[in-house]
Amino acid sequence: MNLSELIAHQPDEDTLRLWLKKIPYAAYLGIDAEVRGNEILFILPADDKLIGNPTLPAIHGGVVGAFMEHAATFHLVAKMDTPVLPKIIDFSLDYLRPARLLATYASCKVTRQGKFIANVSVSAWQEQSDQPNAIARAHFLIPEND
Amino acid sequence: MSRLSSAEKATLIEKMVRFIPHAELQGICLESIDGEEVTMRLPYREELVGNPDTGAIHSGVLTVLLDHTLGTAGLCCDKVGPTITPTLDLRIDHLGIAPANRDILAVARVYKVTRRVIFVEGFAYCESRDKPIARATGSWVLMPELALDKLLSATAETADP
Repeated sequence: MNLSELIAHQPDEDTLRLWLKKIPYAAYLGIDAEVRGNEILFILPADDKLIGNPTLPAIHGGVVGAFMEHAATFHLVAKMDTPVLPKIIDFSLDYLRPARLLATYASCKVTRQGKFIANVSVSAWQEQSDQPNAIARAHFLIPEND
Repeated sequence: MSRLSSAEKATLIEKMVRFIPHAELQGICLESIDGEEVTMRLPYREELVGNPDTGAIHSGVLTVLLDHTLGTAGLCCDKVGPTITPTLDLRIDHLGIAPANRDILAVARVYKVTRRVIFVEGFAYCESRDKPIARATGSWVLMPELALDKLLSATAETADP
């Protein structure tokens, strides 16, 4: 089954994990997901290969961004009535504190979904969800079916 | 502020890649320095693919490369020089797709320096500079009290267990 076919299935936790495994870069980063009721929690397990600053040590900021982008994409797909793979238009990322070498979590909110464009906000944290390490927002283009 | 030669900038930038484990693992390397403009290269790897149906690289990979390259631009800027600059924010516009089997190049330059913040812009491309696949702007916090050479040498000393 290719990715587009997989996406077309209504997402549950198992499907979400299958998507993430199907994407080589998501699998390389080690991204996992859990579904808790209506909430989807994305998880980036700590891994030495993700270190950006070895003195703290801290996870590379770009990796935190890439993780949040995956979270935004798949959160949006999971919330769609007819799931399609959205295309990222732009991504804006604010770094608030360094991400230590611990598990990092991300949760998202579809701030607005129009017919063609969706706006998704993401928060990434480690030990406390009210102390985010980074926040981001992404715009996606929803491909139109003919 | 002392001006570094291109060779001195190159040495610092290469040291910086070796200091950052994730950058070194990705094989990010210096492509060229043109005055205050730096170009870095990220070699294509199958692990970086975002769309397994086409082999295109994941857009998040560009976040890593652009964060690294724009963050490195401070080392090439004569008004900044070798200091630590944590990323404050980064905005990326995705203009195209990074196709299968192509390395990605990222170009960056500092366009404004204030006492505490430097403003950087850049872009990424595969085929030619005229066809960017992404554009980025961001700000970095200037921390001249944390000299880069001290950090790099401190790490070298503590690297051996």
